[in-house]
Amino acid sequence: MAKTTPIQYEPVDASPVKSFFVSMLTRDIKLEEAILDLLDNCVDGILRSKKRAAGKKPYRGYKAEIEFKKNSFMISDKCGGIPWSLHDYAFRMGRAGDRPSDKPGMVGVYGIGMKRAIFKMGRACLISTKNGEHEYDVHITPKWIDDEEEWKIPVKASKKSMQEDGTTIVVGALYPGIADRFSEDARAFKAELERMVATHYAFIIDKGFEVKINGSIVKPRPTRLIFSEKPRIQPFIFKTRTDGVEIFLAVGFTRPIPSADEIADAQEETRYSSIDAGWTVICNDRAVLYCDRTELTGWGEAGIPRYHTQFIAISGVVEFKADDASKLPTTTTKRGIDASSRLYLQVKNKMREGMRIFTDYTNKWKGRAEESKRQIEAGTPLSFEEIKTKAGDLRFTVTKTSIPKGEQYKPPLPLPKKLESRKRRISFVKDVDEVKSVAEYLFEDEDTDPSVVGERCFDLILREARK
Amino acid sequence: MKHPPYHLRTNKAVDRFLLMEAIRCLGRPNDLTRYTYYGFGGPYLEDFRLLHENFPEMPLVSIEQDAQTYKRQAFHKPCGHIQLKHLDFKSFLARYDSADKKSIFWLDYLALEYSQLEDFMSLLGKVAAGSVIKITLRAEPSDYLQKEKEEEFRTRFSAVLPSSSLALPRDSEKFAALLRDMLQISAEQALPSATGFVFQPISSFYYKDGDGIFTLTGIVCQRAKLKRVRGLFSNWSFANLNWARPMRIDVPFLSTKERLHLQKHLPCKRDAGRRLLRVLRYRIDDDRRRAVAKMKQYADFYRYYPHFVRAIP
Repeated sequence: MAKTTPIQYEPVDASPVKSFFVSMLTRDIKLEEAILDLLDNCVDGILRSKKRAAGKKPYRGYKAEIEFKKNSFMISDKCGGIPWSLHDYAFRMGRAGDRPSDKPGMVGVYGIGMKRAIFKMGRACLISTKNGEHEYDVHITPKWIDDEEEWKIPVKASKKSMQEDGTTIVVGALYPGIADRFSEDARAFKAELERMVATHYAFIIDKGFEVKINGSIVKPRPTRLIFSEKPRIQPFIFKTRTDGVEIFLAVGFTRPIPSADEIADAQEETRYSSIDAGWTVICNDRAVLYCDRTELTGWGEAGIPRYHTQFIAISGVVEFKADDASKLPTTTTKRGIDASSRLYLQVKNKMREGMRIFTDYTNKWKGRAEESKRQIEAGTPLSFEEIKTKAGDLRFTVTKTSIPKGEQYKPPLPLPKKLESRKRRISFVKDVDEVKSVAEYLFEDEDTDPSVVGERCFDLILREARK
Repeated sequence: MKHPPYHLRTNKAVDRFLLMEAIRCLGRPNDLTRYTYYGFGGPYLEDFRLLHENFPEMPLVSIEQDAQTYKRQAFHKPCGHIQLKHLDFKSFLARYDSADKKSIFWLDYLALEYSQLEDFMSLLGKVAAGSVIKITLRAEPSDYLQKEKEEEFRTRFSAVLPSSSLALPRDSEKFAALLRDMLQISAEQALPSATGFVFQPISSFYYKDGDGIFTLTGIVCQRAKLKRVRGLFSNWSFANLNWARPMRIDVPFLSTKERLHLQKHLPCKRDAGRRLLRVLRYRIDDDRRRAVAKMKQYADFYRYYPHFVRAIP
């Protein structure tokens, strides 16, 4: 048998392929979310700058402007610019290990947001930035994108001088699908982007940041929870600090609980184009989850009922704050929760504990919505920041057994007086035309409330029965 | 089942005539037989009567959820071939299959609810290319004067509002323009450019026969055929093909004698309001500007102005 020579194996090429970053990575994210990533960079710019005002409006004076049209996208900010000292990191695909540590509060961790957003939209881009004495342009061209060998991007001193420190990103050579969304679907796209900014940036905008989209200033839509002293309709609050992360959680009512009719109507037709119920999770001032009503935030698990219209009044906000953003329970898109994060799972226990108080209240007052409505309407809706201030006046108890340990305020929500044992509830469903016919017969008004019609029917038959 | 006296509403009557004209632009009479009309005709089926008079071959389907109105419709049927369906529009939509057959829909609502926009969006995705959809909504800014009502409006319609910072307009014209924007956003959401289809507006009007009303008519077509479709309406003087400001219908109340007198001088291409005012020799409004505007309205819409006469049955 002839001896065979062993095959020589060459080392395999595992170097990154540019097209992976350009066309694959961009598939993981929606266009609106990619643009929010660019806004995150603006906010990170503010956090890098030292000029932030103290007090309730620390972001006052900082602005970002977004403009999109058929052939270009632009975002420009006056948020401090990209320091030249970071140039080796800001434009890298991914975050280099030797990158100097960030200033407290920043959310950019993975080093992909800006690049992914640019490549999502088009094949050409000009980034102009001014930070102190440095003022430079970075120009990405289609030729650079196609060249697999070239990884360096030329940098030139800016031709035009900016008045304030900031960054302008202009994306051109838009992909046809993106150009269509910026032109054919422009109105719907603007409405959706504005809605996302208004909800995800509600807290920062409330603190003074200004965002303009195609000329119009975005108004925040913050969650407000009802607070009243008598009867005590107040949110459940939990606060703690663990492993460098500060947590503040509040859950309560945003409006009166719905009546039986409202619940039944909701099953038949949509009254609201979006619902403000559910959990909002904020990481370093930015909402990473907005009004979630799934298991991700504790609905429908561990004894908590699944979300249903009857719980439309329940809303909660949980805030995570950390100087080191990698400790926050977010995903790479920064618009999602890392559901397996240990910290998040621990906090979720508290979210469920708080939520249970309000689902229980809703169930107990079911059928007495009118009475409950009066209690809830007597309160004042407070924003998350106002609740934090108000929390200073409340008596918190220290939770020793739960993980994480912390302090909590459990509101003593009012209980309904027990149904007298001699009374029984009757409810039934009938065809709408039949109800109208009976209403017309009894009250000469077919629009009489169905419950009144039902009660009258019972009273009449009762009189007959007792004759 | 409370119905306004549809048959006596002058501006709405004009709007109905204008729909007939828009339909006529769609093609030759033979082409129009390929369309089926679906509407919420109300107790008197006025739109159906008009459609039958103008397009006798067109199949007509009425959708009515109220049992009493449905019976009343059966009583008022202006022709034999109207199919009366007793069901709500959502149930109808769930069962509706265009089978690539063109339709004309008139979603004639009395109120303004988000679920109506939802029906509109879902219909846009279901109709065959070439179908016409007209939607009529309540446009009454006075409904939202209270702060809570305004906030409720914002919450209800947030997904289709053009801007989060928008203050609700207080005047009818601007409110109608807001509804137009909301419908444009709804249409773009229902038919994003990637689908290859688009909702091309044909006309939009607002009027008041008591409460404010906004109405928009458009056609669902392939983006590739947009130019040809727009061409169908390019000579129609009431066409509004670019989502421009809705046109106001506010025809003046005039006696038959006045109308016949004015008609002798119509059509009149330039300065119609002032000219008709001179013809009449007196003002029908204390304010001269308003009187001219009313004459202009008459000149614009006189061909569609209904004649209401007292009849002894």
